[in-house]
Amino acid sequence: MLLIHCPYCDETLPEVEFTYAGQAHVVRPADPSSTSDSEWEAFLFLRENPKGAHYERWRHLHGCGRFFNAVRDTVSDRFLTTYAAGAPRPDLSDLIERAK
Amino acid sequence: MSGFRIPGKGRVDPATPVSFRFDGRKVRGLRGDTVASALLANGIHLMGRSFKYHRPRGPVAAGSEEPNALIGTRRGPGRYEPNTRATVQEIWPGLEATSQNKYPSLKWDIGAVNDAAYMLFSAGFYYKTFMWPRSFWDRVYEPFIRAAAGLGVSPSREDPDSYASRYLHCDVLIVGAGPAGLAAARAAAVDGLRVVLVDENAEAGGTLLSEPQARIDGRSAWDWLSAELAALKANGVRIMTRTTAIGYYHQNMIGMVEKLTDHLPDLPADTPRERMWRVRAKQVVLAQGALEKPLVFHGNDRPGVMLAGAAQTYLNRYGVLVGRQPAIVTSHDSAWYAAFDLADAGARVQAIVDTRADVRAELLAEAEARGIKVKLSHTATATSGRLRVKSLRVNPVRDGKVGTPYTIHCDTVLMSGGWTPSLHLFSHTRGSLAWDDDLTTFLPKDTPEECVIAGASRGLWGIEAALTDGADKGRAVAAALGKAGTETAHVVEADRPGTGTSEKELPTDLDPSRAKAFVDYQNDVTAKDLRLAVREGMRSIEHVKRYTTNGMATDQGKMSNINGLNIAADALGKKQPQVGLTTFRPPYTPTSFGAFAGYHRGAHFEVTRKTQIDAWAEEHGAVFEPVGQWRRARYFPKPGEDMDSAVRRECVATRASVGMFDASTLGKIEVVGPDAVEFMNRMYTNPWTKLAPGRCRYGLLCGDDGFIRDDGVIGRLSQDRFHVTTTTGGAARVLNMMEDYRQTEWPDLQVWLTSTTEQWATVAVNGPNAAKLLAPLVEGVELTDDAFPHMSCAECTVAGMPARLFRISFTGEIGFEINVPTPMGRKLWEAVWQAGQPFGIVPYGTETMHVLRAEKGYIVVGQDTDGTVTPHDAGIGWAIGKTKPDFVGKRGMARPDLVAKGRKQLVGLLTEDRSRLEEGAQIVFDPAQKVPMKMVGHVTSSYLSDAVGRPIALALVEGGQDRMGETVHIPMPDRTIAATITSSVFLDPDNARLKI
Amino acid sequence: MNAPLHSFEPSVLIETAAARVSRAAPGARLSLQARGDLPPLNAALGLDLPTRIGRRARAGALEAICLGPEEWMLHAPEAQAVEILSACAEVYASRPRSLVDVSGRETTFVIDGPRAAELLTLGCARDIDGIAVGEGRRTAFDGVTVILWRDGETSFRMDCWHSFAPHVQHLLEIGCRELAAETI
Repeated sequence: MLLIHCPYCDETLPEVEFTYAGQAHVVRPADPSSTSDSEWEAFLFLRENPKGAHYERWRHLHGCGRFFNAVRDTVSDRFLTTYAAGAPRPDLSDLIERAK
Repeated sequence: MSGFRIPGKGRVDPATPVSFRFDGRKVRGLRGDTVASALLANGIHLMGRSFKYHRPRGPVAAGSEEPNALIGTRRGPGRYEPNTRATVQEIWPGLEATSQNKYPSLKWDIGAVNDAAYMLFSAGFYYKTFMWPRSFWDRVYEPFIRAAAGLGVSPSREDPDSYASRYLHCDVLIVGAGPAGLAAARAAAVDGLRVVLVDENAEAGGTLLSEPQARIDGRSAWDWLSAELAALKANGVRIMTRTTAIGYYHQNMIGMVEKLTDHLPDLPADTPRERMWRVRAKQVVLAQGALEKPLVFHGNDRPGVMLAGAAQTYLNRYGVLVGRQPAIVTSHDSAWYAAFDLADAGARVQAIVDTRADVRAELLAEAEARGIKVKLSHTATATSGRLRVKSLRVNPVRDGKVGTPYTIHCDTVLMSGGWTPSLHLFSHTRGSLAWDDDLTTFLPKDTPEECVIAGASRGLWGIEAALTDGADKGRAVAAALGKAGTETAHVVEADRPGTGTSEKELPTDLDPSRAKAFVDYQNDVTAKDLRLAVREGMRSIEHVKRYTTNGMATDQGKMSNINGLNIAADALGKKQPQVGLTTFRPPYTPTSFGAFAGYHRGAHFEVTRKTQIDAWAEEHGAVFEPVGQWRRARYFPKPGEDMDSAVRRECVATRASVGMFDASTLGKIEVVGPDAVEFMNRMYTNPWTKLAPGRCRYGLLCGDDGFIRDDGVIGRLSQDRFHVTTTTGGAARVLNMMEDYRQTEWPDLQVWLTSTTEQWATVAVNGPNAAKLLAPLVEGVELTDDAFPHMSCAECTVAGMPARLFRISFTGEIGFEINVPTPMGRKLWEAVWQAGQPFGIVPYGTETMHVLRAEKGYIVVGQDTDGTVTPHDAGIGWAIGKTKPDFVGKRGMARPDLVAKGRKQLVGLLTEDRSRLEEGAQIVFDPAQKVPMKMVGHVTSSYLSDAVGRPIALALVEGGQDRMGETVHIPMPDRTIAATITSSVFLDPDNARLKI
Repeated sequence: MNAPLHSFEPSVLIETAAARVSRAAPGARLSLQARGDLPPLNAALGLDLPTRIGRRARAGALEAICLGPEEWMLHAPEAQAVEILSACAEVYASRPRSLVDVSGRETTFVIDGPRAAELLTLGCARDIDGIAVGEGRRTAFDGVTVILWRDGETSFRMDCWHSFAPHVQHLLEIGCRELAAETI
């Protein structure tokens, strides 16, 4: 069972309070009707599957209720950081350096 | 008292004899004994038969690593546990223990013929022996293997015990309460740090319990131990015994199982048998000590052959002499001390046989002082004796050559192949190991967790070394938490640090292909099996393990892994670290299912949600069904009615007059804010802008992929406030999806969502008399088509209760849904029930609801849709607001596959022979085609329908909406049913019945 | 066990040497969600809404706890609900928000006694010590979403939805007996 830092509550809490919500930074096009089939396919279905740092979303369902973003290492299952929804993608090399 | 108990020795209580039964025979032990120590005190070594060869076996160890002495334990009816290690099961008056894997008796077992046929059971025998012929797999091989192999017998009754679980947060968790763990706890227990010290044994102390000769800081080891435990308690350390740390999980979460009652003669009230602790520790100290390795030689499994350290423990901790004439075989100093202790307790030690050429002079002197013969540079090559060892065959070894054998008569053989640090939990952390050539074992290296290793589990032998290291590690974890740990220093006299060498199988002059030199006792794996596996091409230690099953038994290779590795490495001609170690996996020791289940069994297995009206339904004989977490009334049978007749009666009465239905479980979400209507426009397919307050509309929710997710009626209560309903099972999912879009896609919208599912109890009233029935109860709304037409909503008073009233219909009849605050639900239900008596009102359940809606072709999301159905497929394209620039699902519905011809579409089916179809049955166009046929759809809903006069069904059929009137076929095991495709609306297509 | 709730009267459900669990009297519960400038709402409520998650504020019989960045739960005597709703309605135009009456949705268990905090560890994965006296959190108890109010070292309130209450109550009752049977 992981420990997850909720950026809104500013507390590190057990995983049972959270639910996973898929890859982060997948932006819904502002005008979906003007997207091509392949653009829409990419938005709907194409996802990263990295060995290592993964940008993903979680929701503090049994807590503040907020969706937020996280970078998790899919090998070690460690969270490198978590940050508010809408915040820019953090720099990976910094995070990996800090994790060491 | 038997002759094997040594007065004045051990921590057992001589004043408290305890009687129990072993294989029906009464055995006397003392309070503090385990089953194994009590049996040994009575001279009984034979405690079980082995897994594969049914060889007679006795205990080799004295702790939880025991592979052989597995017993069944019984406490009255229903309470039976197989495969309990006799070495850890404490005795209590009345305990019934039985040996396992024997027939007809332990001493005379028919399965022992396997031992003679052992050539059949060599490495990989499963793969070789049971291959051909194929027809034998199910009928012969599998039943045979199941019957012949295996350990104890599963209990057959429901477990009457209760199990518990708890979370525990602490600053420092120390696993193992031996000298290292005790010292670590003492050092770390400062300044309010929450320190927990856990040990699997019945009492704390670890190796100190087996080494009373040591003097620590001027006190005897046992006096020091009790004073130290008192000091730890005074310093706030939580000491948990009979508690095994079974697994080390992410971020310092440790699973621990506490056994609370297995040692008690009477079961106390309200006390669970076991408790699973989920511990989250900021820092962990692993001080699990080391496990002694057996030596691998022919006959090393005969009852009476055991680890030297175990014999020392039986003597010092339990006051039991395991034999009067022990012979010692060792490659490590520690067995010498065992020999000395046994000699001092009155045993006639026959000889100390050491594989090494040089041994410390001090040990030789001590042996000489006791008159013990010493044989250096010797090997052990065999033992004799049927149910108990009688002699040991040894040979001198010169320049690698095995010399002439001779026999040493003995009643026990005490062996030591050195010690293996217990690295199981450390390995669970994905910690890396480093091979140590001097100790010939793996030692812990790095771990990603906040975890340190102390004492013998990192290769430090002796009490003083363990105390010093434990104290260092205790201070280190305190420092990591920003505290200065206690400084301590300990002086230990009569300490027994030692060294040794590690062996593969011992050299022998006998034919190695006939040797039964056991590596894994529990799975009956020999050195020969391991070498055969390598010869047959296994290169990876993981393959060797699976091919031979070495280390795969319930003891998880605690004794066999390193010996197995040494032998495999030798056979491969590689160094051990190049061959690698197999992975240790949780749990550390076998763990009951009850401990994992905890409280979650029976009625508490999972949450069962009930409405306020559920009790009324139960009182009125309802039959229930689960819907999501909810329990819902399915139908209300009268005496003698089956489901079909009850449902038919409920349907007929509702269409003829009026019926009432508990709809409280429907999901409800209040959407509020200045941008509420914009949010609704974006979420749902329908247009909402023009929906006036006081009106409602069927709402359809899709995913961005264009497929139907949920539906429900949505009322606009005011300009900025919507009352959204969802399906029962979809409530949480829909709210989550809405929150996702609200928070992350459109955070600029001023709109908020609140779940009101449980704010409201909902009673649906349907039927031609629904308005007539309700009119007298409703204040503030006139129930006429003009004042309150179909698809209206209002806040008003019903039966004196504040209510939200909706005029909607899921039956095709005049319908109302009345919402009152949940605590008033039953009061409302009973008020409607009373008012309905003159109309012959019937309560109906979900089954009737399904029939009534199917007759009208109303879909049930999740039954008639399956996540690949679009609104057009379901025939509800009218619910799409085509002029809206965007909504969730709009772009998805335009995907090429979703607009292609030949999609499966929802239609009605009427069978030609008027039989009822099976839901889920597959549909074909041409019944004459060859198998496998092309399946073109399936039946989604199927019911008997009194209103239609014949069974009806809904189905998804390829291009169905263009195939009205065509015949399709539904092949069943016994026949093929023909059905005609029809509209999905079977009843009142003009909705005339909705008018008051 | 798992019996539905007929009675909404405050009552002691179980009491042992370890802890006592009772059901609180019904009251008004309002779910408030708003963002941005809070003073108009504070003025309407007569209370400064706490802005840190888990913090509470109180004015007379009105109590507020911050559950999320834009979310509060208000507890008040039943009679006060209408007054609060209308006061907030008056400032709606200048300070849009969502105020939803959820009085009927939830029930409250009062948990106190010497081992009340330990009782919560049967179902609460988070460290109870991390919730200071006078604070509270929304969390999960045996998988059920609850709002946990810590009123004292050994005194808590736990709000949960009605249909989950029997499940929660069942475990609390088991725990009260189990803890009382322990010899510490």
